[in-house]
Amino acid sequence: MTVAAIMPRSPWRGGLAWRVIQSVVWSLVITGILILMAGKNPLVAYQHIVLGAFGSWDRVIVGLNKAAPYMLAGVGVALCFRGNVANMGSEGQIAMGGLAASIVALIGAGALGGLVLPAAIVAGILGGAAWAAIAAAINLWRGVHEVLVTLMMNFIAWLIVAEFLHGPLGEMDAGFPQTPMFDNAAWLPKLVARTDLHIGIVLAVLAAIAAHGVLWHTVIGFRWRLAGASDRASHYAGVSRARSVLGLMITSGVLSGIAGSIEVLGVHYRLIEGFSLGFGFNAIAIALLATLKPLWVIPAALFFAFLETGALSMQRQIGIPSSLVLVIQGLSLIFVLCAVGRGGRKV
Amino acid sequence: MDAALTIDFLSATVRIATPILLAAMGGILIERAGTFAVGLEGMMLSGAFFGVVGAYLSGSIVMGLLAACFGGMLFGAIVAVATTRFDTEHMVTGLAANLLALGFTSFALRTIVGRGQAPVIHIPLLQPLPIPFLADIPVIGTLLFRQPPLTYLAFVAVAAIAVFLRRTRGGLLLTASGENPLAVFAAGTDPIRTRFVALLGGGVLAGLAGAVLSLQQIGTFTDGMTGGRGYMALAAVIVGRWLPLGTLAGCLMFGATEALQLRVQAFNLPVSSYVIQMVPYLAALLVLAGIGRTARLPSAIGQPFRHD
Repeated sequence: MTVAAIMPRSPWRGGLAWRVIQSVVWSLVITGILILMAGKNPLVAYQHIVLGAFGSWDRVIVGLNKAAPYMLAGVGVALCFRGNVANMGSEGQIAMGGLAASIVALIGAGALGGLVLPAAIVAGILGGAAWAAIAAAINLWRGVHEVLVTLMMNFIAWLIVAEFLHGPLGEMDAGFPQTPMFDNAAWLPKLVARTDLHIGIVLAVLAAIAAHGVLWHTVIGFRWRLAGASDRASHYAGVSRARSVLGLMITSGVLSGIAGSIEVLGVHYRLIEGFSLGFGFNAIAIALLATLKPLWVIPAALFFAFLETGALSMQRQIGIPSSLVLVIQGLSLIFVLCAVGRGGRKV
Repeated sequence: MDAALTIDFLSATVRIATPILLAAMGGILIERAGTFAVGLEGMMLSGAFFGVVGAYLSGSIVMGLLAACFGGMLFGAIVAVATTRFDTEHMVTGLAANLLALGFTSFALRTIVGRGQAPVIHIPLLQPLPIPFLADIPVIGTLLFRQPPLTYLAFVAVAAIAVFLRRTRGGLLLTASGENPLAVFAAGTDPIRTRFVALLGGGVLAGLAGAVLSLQQIGTFTDGMTGGRGYMALAAVIVGRWLPLGTLAGCLMFGATEALQLRVQAFNLPVSSYVIQMVPYLAALLVLAGIGRTARLPSAIGQPFRHD
């Protein structure tokens, strides 16, 4: 008898993908019962969610733009969790990335000319990466659990953004905490002309593919997987825990920083209070729904994004509150965790 | 700073610390038994919600408190089933429970309680119960003995849990389940059941912590009204090194920093309110970093236990 992790006998059967799909279906069924209790028809509600998500090209574009930051941040979280780094800080890294990108977009508009967009994105990357590196440093030097460090730093990041918006960056007389609109040169290019679809979704898919490649086909990726699989094995193999924690956190910070940047540079064209609220936590849920596989993050992020755009439209159409989405997300997350057990962390 | 301001500041400290303290006591039970208590936030939120709904539908504050206990226990049970039966990772399970609690309370408030929109609910607040004689002591009487009932409960819980963990068989078994579950198993008790029961009990305390906010301090429920207090409670448990008295000190420190933040203008501090709002989190980070590695986790925390 050992105390080691042995996969439990689970009522879920079949392959990993099949278990995830079953989990999502069960969460939709249980949410449906909640809708019934509220005196509405769940099938009508789900029909309106699908219509709201895919009913027109405009709706699809809104969903794709929403999916892009989720995908980027979700890939970063998936890598971290793979390497046994419980990074809850994507939320703060996205906020700091968006803030840094906005500062450069506002200040550099005149001086940098056409270079303002790449400069802003680089700033966003640095902002996210620096925030993640601070968390990693506190975790490594002082031994404070990464979950607590990153959670506390999320709150601090939100407040730093608020401080900037209510202070030096805020637009006068806007009536809402936001910056003035960025110069045209700082706007993220469109993927399809004359639509709102920006290139973020392409960046995000490329990031997922790149992460898959790094994880499975490079030495660094192997070290990360080893660090996640067994502390002892990676110690014997001479893999430094500190290096993998720092590397993984900074990777997540870079991806989250890009996520924050494309949100301000591609969707709002300005920094708005609460622009990234909940993105980082969604990214964690998405990474787990994807059972920590970078490529699976793509469909998982699309599912979350379309669920949200669809639900907002459903709320407008038939008056069922869109917080329904959080119930579906929370339930499917719990079911996926139960269905996959700790198997999702295996090398 | 004159005397009136000081008393006002200290009583605000106690008021702000109370919900965090009750939740942190639940957190101690859960973590000492071997489960990471990230789900405290969701248990608190659910307790706050069920407390208000129970009091609103029954018209009785006692029913509200019982409902708050149930609400906290419900999410404790969700985490317990997932972590013990299905061996899920504790941190993310807690986070998932928090997400679910946020969505469920917001959805249920609008659909099941108020038909389509958030209903307007005002619950009469739990009133202070002055303790005879003690309440008349100057300063201390006002601070400690003129409080609403759940505040007394929070302080009693500190003493009760300290005695329970140190002096009772159940408390020792609970601690042992978090340190060496194999030994507990060998002694004839099921450590998994201990963890399960600890999560239910911790859920009740966290649910009451939510009721402190909704029934004792605010009188209604709003979406996400716990606002990260569950995470502060978690930090307080670690700052207090999983001991009830140390955790009490941690909670009072967080309460004091937040009370200070609310009084910035009265004290004429030359910084903006957002910077001051960071203080509790920075303080938590600094203290955690200062304690560093000496904060030893219960050694089997987060590890699954299987009977085979």
